[in-house]
Amino acid sequence: MTAPALAKSEYDVCNTVALKRMATPTTIAQVTGHPADEIDNVLDELARRGLVVRAGEASLATSDAVPALAQAASQLYAELREDQHLLELVDRFDIVNKQFLVTMSAWQQVDIGGRKVLNDHSDADYDEKVIAKLIKLVDRLDALVAALGEYDRRFGSYSQRFATALYGVDSGRTELVSSAVDDSVHNIWHEFHEDLLRTLGRERSE
Amino acid sequence: MTLDLMARQGSIVAFDDADPAAVDRLGGKGAGLAQMTQAGLRVPPGFVITTEACRHYLERKAMPDGLAEQIFAELEALEQRSGKSFGHGPAPMLLSVRSGAPVSMPGMMDTILNLGMNRDAAVALAEQTSDTRFMAQLVSRFHAMYAEIVLDALDEPDAVQQFVNQVTPTDPAGDTFDRLWRLCEEELDQSCSESVPADPHAQLLGAVEAVFRSWNTRRARTYRDHHGVPHDLGTAVVVQAMVFGNVSDDSGSGVVFTRNPVTGEPGLFGEYLAASQGEDVVAGIRTPAPVAQALAPAVLAELTHLAAALEKSQGDVLDIEFTVERSTLYLLQVRSAKRTPEAAVRIAADLLADGTLTLAQALKRVSLQQVRQVQRPGFDTDEVAAAHVDGRCLTTGTGACPGQVSGVLVLDPDRAMSTAAAGERPVLARAITSPADLHGMIASVGIVTATGGSTSHAAVVARSLATACVVGASEIIIDESARTMTVGGCTVREGDPISLDGATGEVFLGALNTATPAAATGALAELLDRASSAAGAAVLGRAATSPAVQDALTSGASGVLIPVEAAVAKGGRLDEFEQYLADLHDTDGASPAHARGALADLVADTMTPLLTAAGETEVVVRALDPSTDELTDLWGPGPNGATLAQRLLLPLAVPTVIQAQLDGVARAVATSGRHRSVHFSVGHISDTAEIEVLRDLARPYDGVLLVGAEATSVRGLTNLAMLHDHEASGAQTWLDLYAVQAGIFGWPATRLFALEGLDDYVSRGLLHGDPRASVDPCVSALVTAVDEAVRRQLSVQLTSEVAPAVAAALHRWGVRRFAVDNDEVRPLLLALGRAVFRD
Repeated sequence: MTAPALAKSEYDVCNTVALKRMATPTTIAQVTGHPADEIDNVLDELARRGLVVRAGEASLATSDAVPALAQAASQLYAELREDQHLLELVDRFDIVNKQFLVTMSAWQQVDIGGRKVLNDHSDADYDEKVIAKLIKLVDRLDALVAALGEYDRRFGSYSQRFATALYGVDSGRTELVSSAVDDSVHNIWHEFHEDLLRTLGRERSE
Repeated sequence: MTLDLMARQGSIVAFDDADPAAVDRLGGKGAGLAQMTQAGLRVPPGFVITTEACRHYLERKAMPDGLAEQIFAELEALEQRSGKSFGHGPAPMLLSVRSGAPVSMPGMMDTILNLGMNRDAAVALAEQTSDTRFMAQLVSRFHAMYAEIVLDALDEPDAVQQFVNQVTPTDPAGDTFDRLWRLCEEELDQSCSESVPADPHAQLLGAVEAVFRSWNTRRARTYRDHHGVPHDLGTAVVVQAMVFGNVSDDSGSGVVFTRNPVTGEPGLFGEYLAASQGEDVVAGIRTPAPVAQALAPAVLAELTHLAAALEKSQGDVLDIEFTVERSTLYLLQVRSAKRTPEAAVRIAADLLADGTLTLAQALKRVSLQQVRQVQRPGFDTDEVAAAHVDGRCLTTGTGACPGQVSGVLVLDPDRAMSTAAAGERPVLARAITSPADLHGMIASVGIVTATGGSTSHAAVVARSLATACVVGASEIIIDESARTMTVGGCTVREGDPISLDGATGEVFLGALNTATPAAATGALAELLDRASSAAGAAVLGRAATSPAVQDALTSGASGVLIPVEAAVAKGGRLDEFEQYLADLHDTDGASPAHARGALADLVADTMTPLLTAAGETEVVVRALDPSTDELTDLWGPGPNGATLAQRLLLPLAVPTVIQAQLDGVARAVATSGRHRSVHFSVGHISDTAEIEVLRDLARPYDGVLLVGAEATSVRGLTNLAMLHDHEASGAQTWLDLYAVQAGIFGWPATRLFALEGLDDYVSRGLLHGDPRASVDPCVSALVTAVDEAVRRQLSVQLTSEVAPAVAAALHRWGVRRFAVDNDEVRPLLLALGRAVFRD
């Protein structure tokens, strides 16, 4: 017997938890735009169905979450998956994504005489070039995010999150470029990529 | 406005005529080029449009009157100097236009190259080089750059690139240019309403204006707001003639370092690619060759000579970008070379030794962070060699984040976390990682993935955590159900020891011993020795075991500070220790006498091996401190309803506790055969009455032990002069700086470096500074209120990483004895050396 399909708000909440592995209602509210009390009810329902586990403030996705999300996505985004213009933008994203990963590496490592050494951020000019490139790449996402947004408004939160992170970087908080624990440019991009793959029903190819 | 007036107003000046010191008018780049030109170096000629002109532009939101004429006049002079002509043949001149602010900041315009292309110039260029394809490449690059940088277009070069790829060197130049330019404009039309000017003079003015405008991009304004840089400084524009490394076989471009930037070894180190421009190398189309092989002998000789002279005059190892145009060497850029931490240390020591640098200068060439990197233990090279011979190198992947670690194999993030919680060192091996694995990756000391390259998720996350990581180890097969990792014929079970080298990508079976790298014990030791002498300070390490004592001394410490409860805990006798303390406070029971003796025995047993390891070097024993993490067990209800630890915060409340420790340490001194006395420091003291009692308790141990207070509170620091024994020679009074600093903020002493959310708080500027990185003004006031003569006798304990500002302040106030974690001994020695030479 197939599991009941996920309602939209359930998809949004469960998807966020799955992307982040672990999320609090506050974070989920920031990302999805749903009000906190509604999120609480949805999490309880998802827990009842065995898709998340609630542990104190945080919710974790179970191994049943991703298959359920995949199935729901195939229905929710069926029309989106046929949109040729959007699919062209997705093809462009693959190129941009590769450049993004290279740029991210350039942020973290500098080439010294052929050897890769961790960037100690003592060369402001070098750092600035990398950040300028990152900003250009994030700008390239705009068209794709907008196209996705035509089908589902929640994608707009990615633009907001990027803007917040980049503003933080410009204010001197350079850890927001690639920090593993903050809402860094790298993390937002990665989540977006996973979200995009789920939306399209595709697998990641590393 | 006449041109003379413009000149007097200083809107434009050639490299030859500019005052290199006027960075505020010329910008950093402009000033640098002026200096190099006037020093006689062969730099492509050019001129600087000053920040004054920019200010005029920003004020009136239009090009100042007369500026265009002035630019073209200067351009003519440039044509004469270079023997080339702008906008036509026979030898067309192309320009680069770059921004150059007095203060480096983000958001400024990128460089535009190959400006000056119109049909005439393009045709002349093709004829001059007999290569229409070369001309087409230059034209397409210029058009794309101008479009992207000045017109803010998106670059979609595919159609243009395809066209250029099929141009041959002998195609008709004029026709090719026409078709190419039309194609570029068509492509541009799709994303932008403007077009690239066909007239070179208009191109130049457009570029200059774009530089001026870039002063006010959102990013530049945000940066200035945050750093308090005035918005009315303006930026300069550097216009320079281009030289070409790709016009002939006896042309080329390259980069050279005046010494090896990886190891610091003397000797020119760099690459050169004949018949190429810089961008060709970056694009990876062709591979350059080492300069020594690829350069013509005369050019190599000139470059070698220049390198040595520049290194001497700049006092540093340099990175020189150069172009050879028809056998003539031109310098494009000379900068301080980026280098590895090992190279930094070696270079500083070498330049000091050969007299190029004074000690003050040499110490500035190495940072505290580089010292920390260089001293990090690495695999014993003999062990690695043996591992290879024994076949214990399982596989080699791609090194994604440097670090050499040994640990136990774990195969999923949850197992990594539980392994770490049990006090072991997990090395996480996965087929591939995803954001869901993050918590496990954080808990691990090393990461291995079977897939992925140096830009993969695992690589990026590992680097952000600075965790050793190997990716793309394609031979490993992970079986999560069997809990094994198989490589070739070898099966490793979860929990077995493995090691990895995140720089080379090697994965080893079993653990590998580590040793301090030669770079730390060699060149660095010499440098720090000189620093230490200059600073005239004693730096003690902090140790709780014999090996730790040895580590401290090897690092260059002149002695050790031993915290009693830490040594007892490392010896595995903490429970016993706490029991005796509880007994001593049990006023109803009969145990006190027994407990005192037992406690003294325990302390003696614990201290003897440490004192033996310390030999005759300085030793400070710090009496048990109930506020430390080791003794938090004591914070529970005890007999009589009063918690034991609270009573211990009153250090003289139960004198027997002090006596027992004094007994134990004195016996350890005797047993170890040590001749030199040991200093016994008691924390949480703030009153002269307390210190009187302490001295009484210590009288039986005169000659063996010296006692003193450690101030850990504002009261203690305020009364410091009175706490210090001015009579006794060799008396020490200690200050736990960060305990006082945390207390000033109202935080628990042990929390200052672990305070949740403090990073964010500080970066938002909510504390006007960072209490971990500098001495708070409130604390400074307290310290400087202490009589200078007493300050010169004061000893200070620091925790966590040494902050240069803190070391410098303390040194300035006269402090000459410090205690830090063993890993921070070398960084502190460097910081103190540098503090000596601060103004």
